[in-house]
Amino acid sequence: MAERKVGDKIIKVIRGDITDLPVEAFVYDITADCKLSSGYGGAIASRGGKAIQDELATFGTLATGEATVTSGGNLKAKLIIHVNGPKFHEPDTKVKLARTVQSALRQADENGITVVAFPPIGAGLYQVPLDLSAKVIVDTVSEHLKNSTTIKEVLLVAFDAREYKPFEVAINGGN
Amino acid sequence: MSARENKDTTYKIQVMRDILAKKLTRSVVGSLVACVHCGMCNEACHYVLTHPDEPKMTPSFKADQLRKLFKYNYDWTGRVIPWWVGAKEPLSDADLEALKDIAFGTCTNCRRCTLNCPMGVDTATLNRIMRGLLSAVGVMPEGVRVVSKDQWEVGNQMGVLKEDYLETLDWMSEELVNEVGDESARIPIDKPGTEVMYTINPREAKYDPRTIAAAAKIFWAAGESWTMPSEGWDQTNFGLFSGDDQLGGASARRVYEKMKELGAKRLVISECGHGYRSTRCEGPNWVGIDQDWEMESSVFTMLRYLQEGRIRVDRNKLDRRTTYHDSCNLARSCGITEEPRELLRMVSNDFVEMVPNRAENFCCTGGGGAMSMSEYTPRRLKSAKVKADQIAATGAKIVVTSCHNCVDGLSDLIKHYKLGCEVKQLVELVADALVIEDCAVMRKSKAVVEMPKPALPLHGRRILVVDDEPDVRVFLRTVLEDAGAEIYEAPDGDHALAMARKHKPDLITLDLSMEGKDGVSTFAELRSDAEIAGIPVCIVTGHPEFRELIYQRAVPVPDGYMDKPVKDAELVDNLHRILGLAEHHKAPD
Repeated sequence: MAERKVGDKIIKVIRGDITDLPVEAFVYDITADCKLSSGYGGAIASRGGKAIQDELATFGTLATGEATVTSGGNLKAKLIIHVNGPKFHEPDTKVKLARTVQSALRQADENGITVVAFPPIGAGLYQVPLDLSAKVIVDTVSEHLKNSTTIKEVLLVAFDAREYKPFEVAINGGN
Repeated sequence: MSARENKDTTYKIQVMRDILAKKLTRSVVGSLVACVHCGMCNEACHYVLTHPDEPKMTPSFKADQLRKLFKYNYDWTGRVIPWWVGAKEPLSDADLEALKDIAFGTCTNCRRCTLNCPMGVDTATLNRIMRGLLSAVGVMPEGVRVVSKDQWEVGNQMGVLKEDYLETLDWMSEELVNEVGDESARIPIDKPGTEVMYTINPREAKYDPRTIAAAAKIFWAAGESWTMPSEGWDQTNFGLFSGDDQLGGASARRVYEKMKELGAKRLVISECGHGYRSTRCEGPNWVGIDQDWEMESSVFTMLRYLQEGRIRVDRNKLDRRTTYHDSCNLARSCGITEEPRELLRMVSNDFVEMVPNRAENFCCTGGGGAMSMSEYTPRRLKSAKVKADQIAATGAKIVVTSCHNCVDGLSDLIKHYKLGCEVKQLVELVADALVIEDCAVMRKSKAVVEMPKPALPLHGRRILVVDDEPDVRVFLRTVLEDAGAEIYEAPDGDHALAMARKHKPDLITLDLSMEGKDGVSTFAELRSDAEIAGIPVCIVTGHPEFRELIYQRAVPVPDGYMDKPVKDAELVDNLHRILGLAEHHKAPD
């Protein structure tokens, strides 16, 4: 398992299904209309129950780079941090992605989270290059952990080997 | 960036330009520049045939959308004479939406136009590229977005969660164990070092797990060492439909990595047209890896079990007329046409061909992801009239197909056009026709499973070689005699018929294009003469286009086909297989 220590805090790369992890909170990359949709969203709805989408419906919309929090419903996670990351090659993807990660970390702090899990935000359907996503997340999280924060552990969750490698490279200082 | 490009360019169009530049291989550029707009493709397209007054349905119009972009940016003609060659770019989101409607809503990428283009223009590939460009900037039907996201993030295109998948396998195991009364019939999961790893279409796990149970029953009956994976089990690949090569590679890689992890020797792909094409043919290119295991459609697996005597079937169990629908991806893109028919004839007494068939068959109209795009359903069903007419003409009560997409597409049009028949897959028919007491699992011993092979594969067989070219006859005689056969020769159709009646050979190899009585007429006479009608015939021809003529005859189809030039080993293997099948057919009677 690849990992990086930042002071007394730690970042780890793991394989798994982020929506099925027994963590305090995990990050979900949602669309601006706050609909769970399919993929991880479908898994959240299926495993977590209707309450999560009902909570989301009260928020209206979410601008790119922003984050909001709902309960985890029947999921193993207590909270879900919903972020609206950059999508489909929109301009300034890198800057927007960093801002998205910062928003997620801020939400984690505000909710007193000690363990939070991140997927490779934007990679996959939304076409953000996997290498870029991994590097921005690792750099932004590392920077955040240097400051005062409730977070003690960040899990970078790769669904498959293809997603694992870029996280591993980024956490080892490459890329 | 030139002033021209600055004028109306948005970031989306720039992204599309950049991606298109990476797609411009020699073959793609060839297809972009070779179209002469002759209109030959029109007759091949089910959208054109059912929308004759809509020029936008023509394949060349669809491909022209990409040509405009190509010429505007990358072809000198577009720079010098753009008004003449139609060089143009989309200028707004409305333009992109219009392109989406064309690329996703008026084409199933079935490749029938590609096959019928005299210039070799691969319109389906051009349309797929356009889909990919649009998907990259988020312009796609909602269904495509939903399914792609499921496959990216959950690992299968129907969003089946791991616990649900495993529960379904457990359920099917229980059913099978109860049916056959043998605990060893349970479906193995993640068993390392097996002969076979079996992958499926998520539709099987989500909507119709009976096909999983049917396959499990066949593996059990054959005494196969097999497993299903807990992950990497989705052989389908929406990247083929959406044009997203990244998704294509990611999905195929999950299957390959599970194969590596489990160390299985052979990947068996359940009956699924695009799943087979994606996993067997396109996947290695998308992923950029070589693999050292075999990959095959379960059609081949079932056929092999029958040929090896590992399973036995009783075709009298099925008493309704069947026909076979060729999946576009299996038949047109992967050349799998004869094996499903051989298998079907083993389980069906009353099989009739759909016309046209094989590589010329019409799409089920549910291909290319069409079933996921509900906004185009009325247009899809209108275009399905061609297919509906094909099915109705057969009088079949069961339409058999080796593709899950086709099952859905055909079921939908059968309901819409009230055809009064049902759709089944070969795996269901074979499982239903199994004679369990004659299968390997009941013999307990592996030794009796393997059939003793003669020292020479064609030892003692008498074969009539019919060809008007002496060199070809000498070649065939040499190869077949070396394999142990006794050979008769005929230079034309009349001699062939006379010798067939006189010698009653075990098999005939028949050329199609011959001086005097040609092969097509000879074949029809052979099949019409009760005395010699049952002799297996393998067509060996240098003119594959003549095959169609054979299928237009109202006589049983040939037992095998080979295109010249033939290879020694393939010839012997094929004839050996045909002779084995002929004996298998005789056995139950």
